[in-house]
Formats: sequence, structure tokens, C-alpha cells
Amino acid sequence: MSGQQFFTDRYSQLGWTYENVKLKQAIRVNAMNAQVAETVKRLASRGVGLEKIPFLERGYWANARFSVGATAEYLLGLYSIQEAAAQIPATLFTNPKGKTVLDACAAPGGKTAQLADLMQNTGAIVALDVERRRLTALANQLERCRVKNTIVYDLDAREASRLNVKFDGILLDAPCSGNFATDRKWFSRRTIKDVEENARGQREILAEAAEVLKDDGEIVYSTCSLEPEEDELNIDWAVRSLGLKTEKVNCLGIEASTNVFGKELDRSVENARRIWPGQTQGFFICKLTRRSATT
Amino acid sequence: MKPVNDFIKRLHAEVEIDEALIIRSRDRYFLLNDELKKLIGKDFFHAGTYLGKTKGGRFFPSFTLLAMMIEGKANKVVVDDRTEWLFVCGRDVFREGIKKVVGASGRGEYALVLNRHGECIGFGRMLRNLDREDEGVAIKNVSDIGDFLRRERR
Repeated sequence: MSGQQFFTDRYSQLGWTYENVKLKQAIRVNAMNAQVAETVKRLASRGVGLEKIPFLERGYWANARFSVGATAEYLLGLYSIQEAAAQIPATLFTNPKGKTVLDACAAPGGKTAQLADLMQNTGAIVALDVERRRLTALANQLERCRVKNTIVYDLDAREASRLNVKFDGILLDAPCSGNFATDRKWFSRRTIKDVEENARGQREILAEAAEVLKDDGEIVYSTCSLEPEEDELNIDWAVRSLGLKTEKVNCLGIEASTNVFGKELDRSVENARRIWPGQTQGFFICKLTRRSATT
Repeated sequence: MKPVNDFIKRLHAEVEIDEALIIRSRDRYFLLNDELKKLIGKDFFHAGTYLGKTKGGRFFPSFTLLAMMIEGKANKVVVDDRTEWLFVCGRDVFREGIKKVVGASGRGEYALVLNRHGECIGFGRMLRNLDREDEGVAIKNVSDIGDFLRRERR
């Protein structure tokens, strides 16, 4: 079961009609290193057209005839290139400054650097990933962005409890199947089997995240997959199996569906946000906290 | 810690670093904060502020360490916009591209290279006395922030 027709039929059942999209390049100003207005001015003087992204505090659509990854300002860590929807998850933690946060699947580090920015380089981020190439990209990103509050381990997120640390916040931007908006060959590459396999891996990471979460901690779960197995169905499973509950979030996107292909999900799954491709790539975001004994 | 301190001294910079917060992993040096010090475990890949690494007996500073050295008496030159970009592309600095010299300016000295915004874009070694207005290469590029792009291509 694969192919464009197969997947787009599924999207129709979820209420969205497939349309091809052309993504705009987005940047995020690193406020820990730069004044936002000054950086915007400097980029404009280099001929980079910038348009504020209405749903992001520090995000801009960038339009230039050259790579915005090849300016002195970029190399100095004054801004990062980060897809607009991907800028949302890190902003959903409640007052992260000074806290201990796990970035469970951190490479290449765009969201890690954003978290450090939101934390104003205070507290501590523990960033995990595997493979030397990915870890090197992560470390380079942290050096470029002048991140000072992060420890990186070569560790699979499914083994996070080996660290013996409990976290106030866990960013779980899970490895996923991706979506057609960022991969032109997505429909020919992916099968439902891949999707189900990724969903299983994501559940294992979610279970480990629940293990290392403080009682009053927050998990922000996100994927750039449009497939409900990796999104709504995983959240439904987490709510039913891991003692977690969803929290309402105020961000771009529509309420997640609580009826997926005829299966009724826990009502609280609607607190999650689904973003269909359009002004951004496809994305899914859910904030989870621990359910107290009385709820 | 000695390689880090020696490098700082070589540029006549003054950086206060709490040595108790410095941690070494193989050939690389990192500066922690108090929170990280409490959390750090064995076998980390990267931690806190990366200061630099030693290789073949030489110390290679990180760009964060260079940025930490800007304040105070460190040797530094401020370059014009064109020279900034050429330097970031790995080129040496010509005398005519230097707008300001601070600190030692004699041949063989090392200096931070700053853009007109006062941001450090790397460092180099003086090939001639910068007090003289001669044309030609004045500072040999030792390291520049364009390295972030070159690393991606490796």
C-alpha cells in the first residue's frame, strides 16, 4: 500500500484535499546573539527580502537571490534557517528559562538552538542523537549559534533513562516519515509499512520520555508526518497507556481529528494541532503532561 | 587548560574563565555552567561552550572562544565590508582593508579579525608591521567563520 493516490485518499478521509505546495524559506533570529530589528536591517541591506511570519515571534520568510546560509550574519549565529512550522514546538514550553530540558532527537540542532535561545542560555538542555555525522552537525550548529547550556550525548532516545535525570521539559521531535512538501519523491519512496514502523519507534521514545519526565513536567511531541499513525494514533496510545494527558496549545494548525479512518480516539486528542501543507510544510504538534492520580 | 590559556595570552587578551568549570574530552576543551557541571556524565559528545581542540601539539580555538576575547586589550583589527567577506571565504587581509588596529601590530603577532559591527569573524597572523601603510597582504588567515560552511562540505 503506497503511491500518491493511496496517501492522498487517506488525506481526503481526514478532511484535506491534496494540493502541491511550494514552501517559502524561513529564518529565525537568535535573540540571544542579536537584536531582532538590527538583524532584519542588516539582512535587508544585503538584499534579503524579509516578511514577518505572523504566527511566530522571531520568524521571517526570507527571499534572496543567494543562499541565506552564506552570509556573515548566519555564520555569526545571528539567525538560523528553520522551516516555519518547525519553529513552533520549542515555543510551547511554559517558562523554560532555567529549567532542565531534554531534546530527545536533537540533530541537526535547529530546535536545540531555538530552545537555548528561548531559555536565554540558562538552565540545561540534554540533547540526544545517534551517528557521528548527525552529532557533528548538531555540535557545529551549537557552536555557530553560541549555545552554552547544552550537553550532547551519543545516545538513543529510547535509552534516555540511562542518564538518571528527570526533566522539566522534553522536546520529542520524533524521527518520522516526513511529508511530500519537503521531499518531492515522497510518494514514490514511502509505503504504509514505513509509516507503521516509524510509529512503533515513536511509541518507544514516547514511553521512555514518560519515564524521565518530572511529575509536573511537559512533553512537546511533534512530527512532520501527515500520517495519523505517527500523529493522532500515537497520542491516543500515549493518553491511554502512559498516564499522560494532552494540553491545549495556542499555535498554528487545526484541531487534530478524534475519528481516524473510522476509529474513535480519546476526545482529548483534539488538543493536538495538525498543520496541512500550505503556508508551511505539514506538521503535527501535541503537548502532554502527566495525568495526576485524580484526573 | 594550558593550551587555552596560552592561546588567550598569545593575543594579549584578558578572559576570566573559572578553571573548575572547564572539562576536557579527549583533545577538546569545554566550558560548563553550574547547571551543566551538576548534570554532566561520562562520554559526552559536546558540552556547554566549546573552547577549542589540540591537534598535533597545536591549539585550534573555537569561534566562541575568539568572541569571548574581543573585549579588553586583545590584539584586533577591524576590516571593511569587502575584506570581511573575502576573509570569511578564506582569503588573507590586505593592509588597505584594515580600518583600525588595536593592540600589538608587529610582524608575527596574532590578531582577532572583526567586522565593522565589532563581531569576530576569525583570527590571523600579521605578516608585516601594521603601522606601515604598505600595500599587500598584512594578515594571514588562520581561521575564519566560513569554516562552518566548509565543515558541511567535508
